[in-house]
Amino acid sequence: MSQRMFRSYQGLLLSGLFIFFVVKAVNGQLTWYINSRFVPLTIVGMIFLGILAQTIFTENRRSRLHETEHPDHHHEHDHAPSAVNLWVMLIPILIGVLIPARPLDSSAFATKGFNTSAPLISSDSSASIFETESQARNVLDWLKLFSFQDDVTPFIGEEASVIGFVYFDDQLASDQFYVSRFVVSCCAADGFAVAMPARWDDAATLRQDAWVLVTGNIESVTIKGQRVPMIVAETVQPVDAPDQPYLFP
Amino acid sequence: MFSFYLFPLVIILCVETITSKRISRNAVLFILLAVLLAVTLSLLPEGFFTWLWDKLNVFATVFLGIFVEAVPYLLLGTFASGLVEVFMDRDAMSRWVSNRPGAAAISGAFMGMVFPVCECGVVPLTRRLFKKGLPLSAGISFLLAAPVLNPIVIISTASAFGWGEMLLWRFVISLVIAVTVGLVFSAQGEAAEVLRPVMAGDDHDHIHAEAGDSVREKIRKALLITVDEFFDMGRYLVLGSMLAAGLQTFVSQSALLAIGSGPVLSVLVMLLLAVILSICSTVDSFVALGFTGVFSFGSVLSFLVFGPMVDIKSVMMYLQVFKRRAVFYIVGIPFLMSLAAGLVFNYFVK
Repeated sequence: MSQRMFRSYQGLLLSGLFIFFVVKAVNGQLTWYINSRFVPLTIVGMIFLGILAQTIFTENRRSRLHETEHPDHHHEHDHAPSAVNLWVMLIPILIGVLIPARPLDSSAFATKGFNTSAPLISSDSSASIFETESQARNVLDWLKLFSFQDDVTPFIGEEASVIGFVYFDDQLASDQFYVSRFVVSCCAADGFAVAMPARWDDAATLRQDAWVLVTGNIESVTIKGQRVPMIVAETVQPVDAPDQPYLFP
Repeated sequence: MFSFYLFPLVIILCVETITSKRISRNAVLFILLAVLLAVTLSLLPEGFFTWLWDKLNVFATVFLGIFVEAVPYLLLGTFASGLVEVFMDRDAMSRWVSNRPGAAAISGAFMGMVFPVCECGVVPLTRRLFKKGLPLSAGISFLLAAPVLNPIVIISTASAFGWGEMLLWRFVISLVIAVTVGLVFSAQGEAAEVLRPVMAGDDHDHIHAEAGDSVREKIRKALLITVDEFFDMGRYLVLGSMLAAGLQTFVSQSALLAIGSGPVLSVLVMLLLAVILSICSTVDSFVALGFTGVFSFGSVLSFLVFGPMVDIKSVMMYLQVFKRRAVFYIVGIPFLMSLAAGLVFNYFVK
């Protein structure tokens, strides 16, 4: 294969990766894979991919011009490396295109597990949770409060309003379900789920993994020896999945 | 169930074709395989395909997570390698880095302050620096220390843990390990003895900096080198991320964390997790922060020291650049030393 052909493949794959990143960025799906904190860096990387693709195409045009100007001057290294090695880079593009994008959900619980307390989160930031309105707290905030406060009586009866996806667990009664979210510190690889139980008479009508907005009052229950906040639901409304499906601590 | 009705039909067909010899053996084999597949599929438990589809989705999300996270850093490292090729000459290298193994190993360990790369970017850059005449001990200690001893990682570790003990010990222990391994390698002598020869036909070295190139020309060459190395190293990033994502899809981390109590086991679990998670050293402190509640100081420290040096994707890249024996030492010595560091902290300090 000629050097120019090799460069063309490189250019095509770089363009493919560039387009993959652009599509994910425009769809707002980058945060399905990485913490929002790293999105700016990824955008810079994406632009650099575009510049590289452009460099390769310019290079090929140059070499073509060069050849027409000096047709007898044959290129000394016209034996480019095999392109097989390049095609590995097609894998991420193919996986991105062929498997419909789906954020982590309850199907990842089997290996990633889920937590009803917040042992995997530092207690440093818990002070600010006091100041937030009870209805503005998310699943993780509630779990942090119940994990790190010695006395939770002030929170009992407070009104909560949390969004999450439904997860049914065998250990819960039939009128109960978990409201869950994935917490991602850097990328989906380190994601783990947090879940707080909710009690609702019509729980059986809900579907696993459906996104819901649960409002109700907080009660303290004990699950597997842990003190856990439970929402006694007044309303459970189906909602669209949030643009950022994960919580970023 | 359809295979039940299909089965006798296919057998008749097979016998027919074999006896009549009208269809080739391959076709018969193909039909038999198809039947076998149909039987297997009909025997699978219900819900198998939903299960498989769910697993595939988790795999895809985790894989793309690692990949998307790592690409900017890999680009940074390969671009640095390109810039080194065009802007740095061998004389400058010998002026900067001493030839005495000890001094070279220490200065190599601190070179990350000048080249802020993480474990994906450091591999192509190290290979490039070796070509520019960097002494072996300096290169190896750079390879192991740079993903930790660089400004970006210092800031990210400080923002996760504060300017405290975790930061201090992470850097001290990484430095000690990197310099030790660098010194071990200095006994090997020349870099050529541990580096894999660049395979014929895989030689990207037709792009050379020449004296007299304009800055514009130099940047053009640097970008072309960036592309070549991005593909060269990127395939190991892809394969490594796939392996890591596969492990994460099928090996239960909650079970792993559950067995991780006790001063010895907890360190081993953290070391194993550092390898499996394969997250970039620039961000791993945020993940480590999450473990502080359940794991001891020493175990989390060993995670932070070992993870940047060895994980699935970096080992794949090492294998591309170094001979197997060298990779064995690059992986083995840091493992034992991180383990020892974790144990010392667990038993004697905290």
